[in-house]
Amino acid sequence: MGVVSVYMFPVPEGKSGQQVVESLQKSIELLGATKTGNFCVDCETFQTSIQNTQQRQVNILHSSDHPASCFAILDAGTCLVADSLFDGLMQKLKHYYQQRKGSKIESKGQRYEFGDFVFKVGSVSLASSFKGILLEIEYCPCIIAGDCWGLLKEMASSIVGNVAEQQPNVIKNKLEHVYTTADTMCQYLEHFNNYKKQTIPPTAVSTGR
Amino acid sequence: MENTFSVGLKHNIAPHQEFLLQGSILDSHKEVLLHRLRGLCDNAEKAPEPFYDHEMVFMLRGATAQQNPVLFRVRRSVEPRDDTSWHIRYLGTSEVGDKSRHTLVRACFDVACSNNVVQFLNEMGFKLDHEYCVKGYFFHKGRMKVTVSKIFRMAPSGGSDINTQEAMSHSHLVELSVVAPAGQEQIADDMKNFAEQLKPLIQLEKVDQKRLSVQ
Amino acid sequence: MQKEEKLLETSLPDIIAKVAEIKNAIASFLFKLENEYATLNWPSMLDNFALISSNMNSLSKVLKGERIPPLRNFTLFPVLLSPERDQELEKLTEGRLFMCNHEVVPDYLRTKPETDVEEKINQLNTKAGTIPSDNAQKQLNNLNKITSNILDIINSYKEEWDNESKQKTQQPQTSSQAETNTLIAAISMGKGLRLQSQISQQQMQQQMPNMQPGQKPMSVGKVPSTVKTTIRAGSHPYQRS
Repeated sequence: MGVVSVYMFPVPEGKSGQQVVESLQKSIELLGATKTGNFCVDCETFQTSIQNTQQRQVNILHSSDHPASCFAILDAGTCLVADSLFDGLMQKLKHYYQQRKGSKIESKGQRYEFGDFVFKVGSVSLASSFKGILLEIEYCPCIIAGDCWGLLKEMASSIVGNVAEQQPNVIKNKLEHVYTTADTMCQYLEHFNNYKKQTIPPTAVSTGR
Repeated sequence: MENTFSVGLKHNIAPHQEFLLQGSILDSHKEVLLHRLRGLCDNAEKAPEPFYDHEMVFMLRGATAQQNPVLFRVRRSVEPRDDTSWHIRYLGTSEVGDKSRHTLVRACFDVACSNNVVQFLNEMGFKLDHEYCVKGYFFHKGRMKVTVSKIFRMAPSGGSDINTQEAMSHSHLVELSVVAPAGQEQIADDMKNFAEQLKPLIQLEKVDQKRLSVQ
Repeated sequence: MQKEEKLLETSLPDIIAKVAEIKNAIASFLFKLENEYATLNWPSMLDNFALISSNMNSLSKVLKGERIPPLRNFTLFPVLLSPERDQELEKLTEGRLFMCNHEVVPDYLRTKPETDVEEKINQLNTKAGTIPSDNAQKQLNNLNKITSNILDIINSYKEEWDNESKQKTQQPQTSSQAETNTLIAAISMGKGLRLQSQISQQQMQQQMPNMQPGQKPMSVGKVPSTVKTTIRAGSHPYQRS
C-alpha cells in the first residue's frame, strides 16, 4: 500500500462514457501495464432522520481491495476504519441515521499494474446511471506523500494531462504524514460528492425520483 | 457490491449471537477458581492470560419515543497498550428465555476499528455515558470463553493507573460466553455442563438484567 | 385361676399364629439357602434375617402383652410317656416328632440350662466369690475407665466428622449473589459507575429513575458484608440441632 491520487477524467461532449473508458484503458495498456482484475469502490450515505437537530451525515465506503474493512467518513472528514461488520452497527442506528434513498454511488472497473504503480479505471454510477470516470493512480513503494508526489504527478500527467498538477486536498494537508487507505477513501468521497452536486437536477429528472 | 457482512448474514455464518452465563467469586477464593479453570480449559500448561481493558460506554439518545437510546461499548487494552485493540461492541437486549434454555442470549456485534473511534462517535452525536476498567484473566475451552475479572471505577483524575482506581466490589466477575451464528442453541448445553463443573465454587447463572434494574 | 386359664386359652391362637409366622419365615429362608444359594445376594439375605427378627419381636411383644398371663407361672409336665408311635402328635408337629418318649422329653420340655452349662456357671460363681472385694472394685474401676475413654474417643471423632460435613456445606460462601448482581448491574447498565463521570446528577436521574440520587457508590460495595453476616446467623440453628 502506498500513496494514491484519484483524478476525475473528463468525458468530452459527444462521446459516451464507454468510449472514453476504452480509450483510457488502451492508453494505459500502451504504457505496458497488465490487467490484474476488477475493482469496486462504493459509497452509501446515511443522514440524521430528525429535522430540527443539526444535520449530520455518515458516509460508508467499501473498497474491493480491502474486503474485510468498512470506511465511515463524517462531514468533518473524520474517517473511522472498521471491520465490515460496522454495516451491522449502522442498522442498529436506523432510528437516528437513515440511508438516503438513491444515494448509492460506486466506481467500478479495471485494475492494472505497471511496475511500482497501480491504475484503476472506474466508471462512476449513481443509482445505476453513468456519471463520469475516476482514475486512481497508486505509487506502492512509498507511504509519505511528500516524498513521492513529484513521481506520482509525472506519471499522472502522462495520462490525464494538466489535471495532474492539482494536488488532492487530502494529500495537501498531510504531505509529511503516513498515507493510509482512509485518505484514499476521503478522495473518493470528495469526487462522489462533486458528482452528486453537479448532477442532482438531471438525475432527479432522468430517474424520475 | 455485496459486502462481506451481508454475505455473512445471509449464509448465517457471521457470529452475532452471544450465549452468556454470569457469576462472581469473592477475591479471597479467586486463586482456587483460577486453578480450577486452568485445569478445565485449553492450554493448561500455560499461565492464565491476563488482560487489562478500559471500556467507555457511549450513548446516542433521541427526542422521540421510537428512538431508544443506543449504546456502543468502546474497549481497548490498557496493558499492554495497544493501538490496534480498539473495538466497538454492540449488545442487544438479553433474552432470558424459558427453563429449557440454559443461558442468556443476546445480539452481539464486535467490530474492530481504528483508534479515532472516540472522536468519531462524539462527532456522530454519541455522548460518553460511563466508563470503567476491567482487569483479570482470560481462558478458553473450544469456543467457550471464560473471563475472571475485577471491575474498577475510573479515578476522578481520569487516569488509567490501576493504583488510583477504586474496585467496584470485593468480588471478581466471572463470565462464560460464546459468540456464535444464530440458531446454534446446542452450545448452551455445553456451557451448562461446563458451569456445573465449577460448582459449588461459583454459580454461573443467567442473570436477568432487567430484574436488576428494578431492584 | 379360672380367669387366667381362660385368658390363656383365648390368647393361645394368637401365639400359635405368631410362632407359625416365624416358622414359615425360617422355612422359606432355608428353602432359599438350599435352592438359590448360587444366585442369592447379600441384601436379600439381610432381608430374610430382618423378616425373622421382626417376627420374633412381635412374638415377644405378644408374650409381654397384658392379655397373656405370665407363662412362667404355669407348669408343664409329661403325663404319659409312650414308646409307641403317636399319630396325633405326628400330625401336630408336621412329621417332625413321632412319639413322646424318654428320649425327647428332656430336650423339648427343658426349662433349666443344660447340665454342663449349669456346671460352668457354678464354677464361675465360685471363682467370683473367691476374688477379694478390693481387687474386684479395682478391676471394675479399670473397666469403667477404659469404657469411658473409648466413649470419649468415639465422641471426638463424631464431632470432627460433623464439623467436616458442616464445612462442606458452608463452602458455597466462595461467591455472593449480591456481589454478582452489583457487578452485572455495573457493567450492563453502568450502575454505580456513572456518578463519577461528567454527567450531571439531573441527567443521571433521567436515565436511571430507579436509582436514588443520594445513593453513594460506597454503599453498593458494602452490601455483601451484611449479607455474609445474615447467612452466618441463619446457619446457627442448624449447628445446634
